[in-house]
Amino acid sequence: MTTAIAGIGRTSFTRESGRTTLAMAVEACRAALADAGLTPEDVDGMLTFMANDSSHPIDVSWALGCNELAWSNAVIGGGNLVADCVATAAAMIETGTCNAILLYRSLNGRSGHRFGTISGPVAVADEWQYSAPHGFLIPPQLFAMWCKRHQEVYGSTCEDLGHIAITQRAHAVQNPHAIARDPLTMEDYLAGRWINEPFRVYDCSFEVDGAVAILLVSEEVARSTAQKPVWVVGSSNSQSGAGWLEWDDLTTMYARTAGPRLWDRTGLKPSDVDVACMYDCFTYTVMATMEGWGFCEKGTVGKFFSEGRATYGGDVVVNPHGGLLSEGYLHGLNHHYEAVLQLRGQAGARQVDNARLALVTAGGGPYGGGSVYSSEQP
Amino acid sequence: MSDTSVRALAGADPRAEIPPQPLPDVDSRGFWEATSRGELAICRCQRCRTWMHPPQERCRACAAPTAFEPISGRGRIHSFIVAHRASVPGLGAGPHVIVLVEFDETPGIRLTGMLVGIAPSDVRIGEAVAARIVDVPGGPYRAPEFVLIDGDAGLVDGAHP
Repeated sequence: MTTAIAGIGRTSFTRESGRTTLAMAVEACRAALADAGLTPEDVDGMLTFMANDSSHPIDVSWALGCNELAWSNAVIGGGNLVADCVATAAAMIETGTCNAILLYRSLNGRSGHRFGTISGPVAVADEWQYSAPHGFLIPPQLFAMWCKRHQEVYGSTCEDLGHIAITQRAHAVQNPHAIARDPLTMEDYLAGRWINEPFRVYDCSFEVDGAVAILLVSEEVARSTAQKPVWVVGSSNSQSGAGWLEWDDLTTMYARTAGPRLWDRTGLKPSDVDVACMYDCFTYTVMATMEGWGFCEKGTVGKFFSEGRATYGGDVVVNPHGGLLSEGYLHGLNHHYEAVLQLRGQAGARQVDNARLALVTAGGGPYGGGSVYSSEQP
Repeated sequence: MSDTSVRALAGADPRAEIPPQPLPDVDSRGFWEATSRGELAICRCQRCRTWMHPPQERCRACAAPTAFEPISGRGRIHSFIVAHRASVPGLGAGPHVIVLVEFDETPGIRLTGMLVGIAPSDVRIGEAVAARIVDVPGGPYRAPEFVLIDGDAGLVDGAHP
């Protein structure tokens, strides 16, 4: 492929931004352009994903100083769509429709619309209406339901989930941008309050306010930008409508299909990956998708983390920034930011030695995908 | 995700502590009509007999018309959670056990509901349960909740136990 990431930008991640999603999106986009040494005039495409909780590219591009775009879109959905957005932007570039596309996510995920909470009297439509009367409606319940089934079938444990949370927190300690930087022990983890058994508080994303932007450009543009380009090697997606109740095997996720699909397309394999930014809305998402992407056999992910195979000096460094669990819930676009930092060699105290290939995954349950990036042009 | 399906309840006092209300549509109306009669019904193809949930106007396997057909409400616990945090309004103090039930007559078709009458620590995956239809506080609807059964018990109408 001939698409590269030339710039990355972000705001601070906070509990209460006091700002609009428009203002934060513009700041992150400006930072990505400055990072690349480009200007708003160089941008001809813009893309975001959201759940009616953010600003549209038309407004963001105008506020940024772009007079018009050759293409823009806002897709409705969650973190499952990040890999899809990267693939779509790359396709627009590869077909010659655009030369420079800003992909951003901006949300007041803590002080504004919170994905894990419903307040006030509500009416619930569509496939969720049947779960309304008993309130089975929010992600920390849906993923916990799947996790419990995995525990039953494969004997995975809460301590296994704890090792994921602890490892990622240890990584976040080295990340000044992370919202949660206090080291976490197994004792701390197990003392965490229950949210929905089998999930404790440390199994859940740390909701924040903030924005992230990445700038995808054509090969031609990439030749004259300020940073060493990070190249898109390939991507895959798997989006199923089976839903959270009827999915045939709750111990697996979208990755059972998207994983083999990506490795087939790229000729790569899990052991080639230096940095894995695994979508981690919950610890269990990491568990089920590490299996699906082929890093671990079923039921062995906890051991993989407890033996140090998911951190520095191990097989692959998983979420060196701390992930959604500890850096903050930027809906997975922060994973792409981190992958670029690592592949440029700019990750400072948490730099993974000789990081050349990164997998970034997106989503959980029935839908998601992944992107592979390289420090070398493929 | 569930997110875009949730709307403020029209006409409700914003401080009212009532559980989320279903918002039926043309495809789902038969489900709620059945519960109002004390029955549980699942959408089924009238040609190839495929069960499907959520309900659809036409069969996803053969595109023929569908209709709701009553089921016994008996099934097995496929998975469960114990909900501790009051993340959703109107459900009272937890913890609550929410079960995912796969019904005996409809393999692969599952619904969630509260499991009542048991301590959370005693719940086990694979146990037999039956639905009973109860009133949903704060509105006109009735919906299933679940109880453990020994084996042969069937659907229980919550209003006429």
